[in-house]
Amino acid sequence: MIALPLIALLVGFLIVYPLSPGIAPALGDYVAIAVVAGFDALVGALRSRLEHRFDEAVFLSGFFANMVLAASLAYFGDRIGVDLYLAVVVALGIRIFTNLGRVRALLVTARLETRRTRSAPVSR
Amino acid sequence: MASLWRGEKRWVLAMTLVCFALGGLLAVHVRTQQLRGATEVGRQTSALTWLLTDTRAQLEKQKEETERLRTRVAEYEEEAASEKGLIRLMMDERRNSRIALGLLPVQGPGVELILDDSTMRTGGELGGQDFFVVHDIYLLQVENELWAAGAEAVSLNGHRLISDSAITCSARLIKVNDVSISNPFVFLAIGNRDNLTSALNIRGGILDQLRVLEFQVKLTPKDEIVIPPVAIATKYEYAQPVTKEAEP
Repeated sequence: MIALPLIALLVGFLIVYPLSPGIAPALGDYVAIAVVAGFDALVGALRSRLEHRFDEAVFLSGFFANMVLAASLAYFGDRIGVDLYLAVVVALGIRIFTNLGRVRALLVTARLETRRTRSAPVSR
Repeated sequence: MASLWRGEKRWVLAMTLVCFALGGLLAVHVRTQQLRGATEVGRQTSALTWLLTDTRAQLEKQKEETERLRTRVAEYEEEAASEKGLIRLMMDERRNSRIALGLLPVQGPGVELILDDSTMRTGGELGGQDFFVVHDIYLLQVENELWAAGAEAVSLNGHRLISDSAITCSARLIKVNDVSISNPFVFLAIGNRDNLTSALNIRGGILDQLRVLEFQVKLTPKDEIVIPPVAIATKYEYAQPVTKEAEP
């Protein structure tokens, strides 16, 4: 089951890659930042899942809204001559790292607990 | 167990959807990056190639033209030299002008000066390597010194220097008359050897300063020096001789 999203990632890539003509270099930066925002949402979803407070409505709306917001912020920064692009990258980068660390901690704790109780499932 | 399974399923579904979109976006991004690299390098290379071919063709054409004119002048001179008197005088005058314009190869005693970058390397206390390479301004100073000491003809790396010669620097390349040259820089100058040598070696002069910074400076007086003519003759497009009526 966990393999399905990974397969979807690959399939999405492989479908679009041959079709995509690539877009104007000036807009390339905004796509890059949208990709980073998307990864952030993904990692965030993983964490909330492990913390048992996952909600797909929050997840889906957050995924798309964050991508658009991140790209718009970068665009706005370019318009007014302030490198908001960097601010977005730094903020998202920190969040991805924190979330990944939290995911790791949760997985390790769950594993330790399993070992102690022997028969209990990994995720409750 | 059933509700958990349903939750699990919805989670996977949402993740799958998002991962699919992200994969597509990633593909667009990778594609854009490839495109960006390809077009930028391609554009620059083709522009430079075009510029180079164009300039070469132009240079070739102008050299041909110079050669053609040179032979024609030689023919005229031969014809004229057979006559006497006033024409002889005019021929002498012409000869001098043509030496000054750099149209004739010339020979005579003089000096050879070879300049190269400093052997000193930056240890950090003096800043960048910029201090230790030969700059266009040094070459200009040397040229100026040579003229001031009475040089009658000067060349730099085989390029004759005349009144409209320019030594410039663009993008770390030194150019003489728009042709790039590189080190070592070889000056040839025809004139009084002693005067030229002592003028160049003057205390506090340009060579003195360069020697302190350990630039490689080699100055040799020579009995016989041959200096080539200019590759492209001067054209006068704007400057016209003042006629009687135009004088104030």
